[in-house]
Amino acid sequence: MKRASRIIGTAAAAALLFGGAALTGMAAQAQEKYKIFLSMSYIGNDWQAEAANMVKAMAAHKSMADKVDLQVQVAGPNAQRQIQQINAMVQQGADAIVVFPISPTALNQVVKNACDKGVLIFAYDAEITEECAYNIHIDQEEAGRVTAEWLVEKLDGKGNIVVLTGVPGTSVDTQRTAAAMEVFAENPDINIVAEAVGMWSQAVTRTELSKILATQSWDDIDGLWMQVGCYTANAMQLEAGKTPEELIPCAGEGANGGRIQMLPVGTEVEGASGPYAPLGAPRISYASPPYSGGLALKLAVEKLEGKDVPKLTVLPLPLVTNETIQLCKEGTWDEMKAGCNAFSPAIVANPGWFASIFSEATPEIGFNAALVGQPEL
Amino acid sequence: MSTPATHTPEPAARRRGLDLRLDRFRGLATAIVVFAALLLVVDLISAGPLSYFDISFLSSGGATLALAAVGQTIVILSGGFDLSAGAVLSLVNVVLATTMDPTDFEASIVLWTAVGIGVGMLVGAFNGFFIAFVRLQPIVVTLSTMFIIQGITLLILDKPGGFVSPSLGGFYLGDLVPGWIPMPIALLFAVGLFWMWLKRTRFGTALYAVGSDPNAAAAAGLRVDWTRFAVYVVAGGFYGLGGVFISAQTGSGDPLVGNPLLLSIFAAVVVGGTRLGGGRGGPIGSIFGAYILMIVVNILLVLNVSAYYSTIAEGLILLLAVLAGSISRGSTLAHQIRGAWTRFGAWRAGTLPSQIGGGDRRLAMTDVARPESRTQAMPSLWSRHGETLRFALPAYAALVLVIIVTQVWLGNAILNWTYWNSIVVLSSFLAILALGQGTVILTGGLDLSVPWTIGFCGILLAGMVQGSDAALVYALPVVLLVAVGIGLVNGLGIVWLGLSPIVVTLATNGMLQGAALIYSGGTPAGFSSPLLRWFMTAKVLGITPVVYFMVLFVIFSVIFLSRTSFGRRVYGIGNGLRVAQLSGIAVGRTLVGVYVLSAVCAALVGILLTGFSGQASLGMGDDYLLPSIAVVVVGGALITGGRGHYLGMLGGVLLLTALQTLLAGTTLPYATRAIIYGVVVLGAVIALRDRRELS
Repeated sequence: MKRASRIIGTAAAAALLFGGAALTGMAAQAQEKYKIFLSMSYIGNDWQAEAANMVKAMAAHKSMADKVDLQVQVAGPNAQRQIQQINAMVQQGADAIVVFPISPTALNQVVKNACDKGVLIFAYDAEITEECAYNIHIDQEEAGRVTAEWLVEKLDGKGNIVVLTGVPGTSVDTQRTAAAMEVFAENPDINIVAEAVGMWSQAVTRTELSKILATQSWDDIDGLWMQVGCYTANAMQLEAGKTPEELIPCAGEGANGGRIQMLPVGTEVEGASGPYAPLGAPRISYASPPYSGGLALKLAVEKLEGKDVPKLTVLPLPLVTNETIQLCKEGTWDEMKAGCNAFSPAIVANPGWFASIFSEATPEIGFNAALVGQPEL
Repeated sequence: MSTPATHTPEPAARRRGLDLRLDRFRGLATAIVVFAALLLVVDLISAGPLSYFDISFLSSGGATLALAAVGQTIVILSGGFDLSAGAVLSLVNVVLATTMDPTDFEASIVLWTAVGIGVGMLVGAFNGFFIAFVRLQPIVVTLSTMFIIQGITLLILDKPGGFVSPSLGGFYLGDLVPGWIPMPIALLFAVGLFWMWLKRTRFGTALYAVGSDPNAAAAAGLRVDWTRFAVYVVAGGFYGLGGVFISAQTGSGDPLVGNPLLLSIFAAVVVGGTRLGGGRGGPIGSIFGAYILMIVVNILLVLNVSAYYSTIAEGLILLLAVLAGSISRGSTLAHQIRGAWTRFGAWRAGTLPSQIGGGDRRLAMTDVARPESRTQAMPSLWSRHGETLRFALPAYAALVLVIIVTQVWLGNAILNWTYWNSIVVLSSFLAILALGQGTVILTGGLDLSVPWTIGFCGILLAGMVQGSDAALVYALPVVLLVAVGIGLVNGLGIVWLGLSPIVVTLATNGMLQGAALIYSGGTPAGFSSPLLRWFMTAKVLGITPVVYFMVLFVIFSVIFLSRTSFGRRVYGIGNGLRVAQLSGIAVGRTLVGVYVLSAVCAALVGILLTGFSGQASLGMGDDYLLPSIAVVVVGGALITGGRGHYLGMLGGVLLLTALQTLLAGTTLPYATRAIIYGVVVLGAVIALRDRRELS
């Protein structure tokens, strides 16, 4: 009786708040399913949305669907809210929480508390330094070092370069930039002529490069090292009247637009137009792969099922150069396993979309998972 | 920032004392009721009843926000505004995390709490000095401080790390009485008692007096400057305590931990029943406001609101919470409803003016006015424009200085045509926003929905255009119409519901973010058409087409603000809402128009940014909110409304763009750049103030 009145009260309160719209999701929860939450950070950029799609697709895969009950929540850019959110998830009886941590350190206490209550915490892409958390990410220092070494080699050890960093104050940015700077420092003839904050955004790259080019010319710049923005940099060189053959080497991110530009000029690509076309651009393309969230969910389920999962999973760094670039036809997992790593503009309209979605470890999720949250069959 | 309350208060004599007393605490009471209701909802829907531990977690989760909101409330009560609050939290956090001895697990709680509060008060003293004694506008001073502090924070700790002794965490997250009273609640209770005491001191009385009317306070013999100074110091102390709490809670340092809290702090204050503009409300309401905002996280979770809808739900909750606080017989909404009812009754009775007929009964003024204006000599150019020039010039003077430094440091500027072209192209976004945001600020409001109006409109345009020039023909009008709709929502929310512009536009911003996510499915497809790209990036006779457009836009803006009747009404409202109303200005209609203008300007920026970047992206407008406010104020406008000229704002835009261009051409670390940026903005407004002293 008490239970019934409570449910009625609940329904009334919920209806009052949201006009009754949100009631559907919470009714059906089978007992035997694992209750897993995803705590995302900020949802307002391509990478986050893509990673969330891949987590959802993983949960919807036929091998997972009857085991996992996944709920997705957004914490925004605010670590305080993520702390509150993780606490609330623990309180709601989570078995595991997959989290994109806003801060590697600020969550430590709440994560420890969750662990103490037997909740598994899996962090993807960025790390959580609390010992009981499971981390899945690439080696950020390796990413900075390898790409910088590629650029130095491309320039034969001398030239003027422009550096575009990520979001200042984050571990990922600091580690990547520091490793790259170390490489540049070892090569005294590499001259950094300008350094700007790119915020991991193509749009910011455009404004920052425009500011740099207000006082410098493309002719004075021999190479680019940027965490995100090679696609935009190449587009800007074309606008400035350069031919595809004159594009300068750029070490940068794994956006699909940049990958398409790496294809040799004349490659037939459906839907190519403007700068989103094969240019034979000299590039190395690396990425923090968005499948890490999906993998985190898979590992969490494995751990819940009693398998052994290491505390740290370092993902292989996806690297693509002009020698290894290859266009996908449909983007199935099998096709990507055979080596394709770029998608035609006809199916990926957004050049900022991240193309590094293949992992040996996740045959459940392929191209459709990243694009629309649909798992492989 | 005055709330455009377009109603007449009931005659006080008709009310009884009890009513009056109730009314004074209405904001606080509503905040408590809303909080209790939300807590009940969480308790009812949750898997199990809330245990002591759950309550303990909830209390620690909102404590940092609550402490910072208490500080902000005190500033707002004094009629001020503090944008540095979030940055101070980060600063105190990194100071503690880097200076504590990693081997000392029993660090003194009293000592380190004092250090945190001391750092906060130091920053507060810096703010207070410039605001109280140099008499600069709080918003500019605290904006500059925010940049400087962010820079210093990154210099101290460039990435998350450091150590905060567990003894701090053990104390602040522990219990006062185990099983009964969690420490955060005890702490906030102590803060509440401190406030009750402070309120009864001379300082407390002075605080409310200065916030209600600084001139009257000065006339009554209060030391307005010292009161203001003390306000920022006390507020800084509370941010410092918030920083100590967040350090205890996280056990480590993160240079970015506090910054994103800024908008939440303002929301907490407003939800807690404090009126922006000063004189009414109190920190206790803000504490509940903070917990309302934090418990929303739990509500969204237990109701399983999908990620894309969460910002929409949050916006609605914010609006409803504030609306609930304003419902009373004397509220604007009640007035509007009564007015509509009366009009409806009159229409049924057939007594509406339009139904009676009789035509235009205005007095014929033209014949009287004309001969007089002919004989009257035009005042001199200086006396007509002197004031405008005085406030606009410093931005231009600083601009010239920055350009000279650029030439000396980087070379290749003054004689380089590309440099000038780039400056104008990069300025175009802020210059357009300055018209919208500037007009809103001239009426004493603020438009916080700019970021996602830009983002949503850009994504909508790219999605409709899909790279086709022909599609622009219908896509442009559709996007601009959508913007008009956004502006109408903002304007009507402010005028009809009588809510603070900050609340309405913040809620709209959240809803637009949700709309953009739902429309794009998380990844915006589509890209700008060749024509739009040509407009932003090609060269015609060495000049980018948008430069020609900007020349026309600036001419239009100047004429629009200073030569049209709409522009004059805007200034009228900014100088005094009541006076404007009594002068026969259609205040409501003008205000709605102002927010529509701002939304259309933001949409235009979204369109141009899409052309500039070639595609639209989520979050593309995020970097434009604070700059859009900064340029308006640096250009000589008064944040409380009524003063400012578009050419001044344009000077502010050019100054900030030239400064960023200079910094981007260097290899200075980001932290140093942030500090330089803050110092230059502060310097520009100090020059502004010096000019005023000369007159």
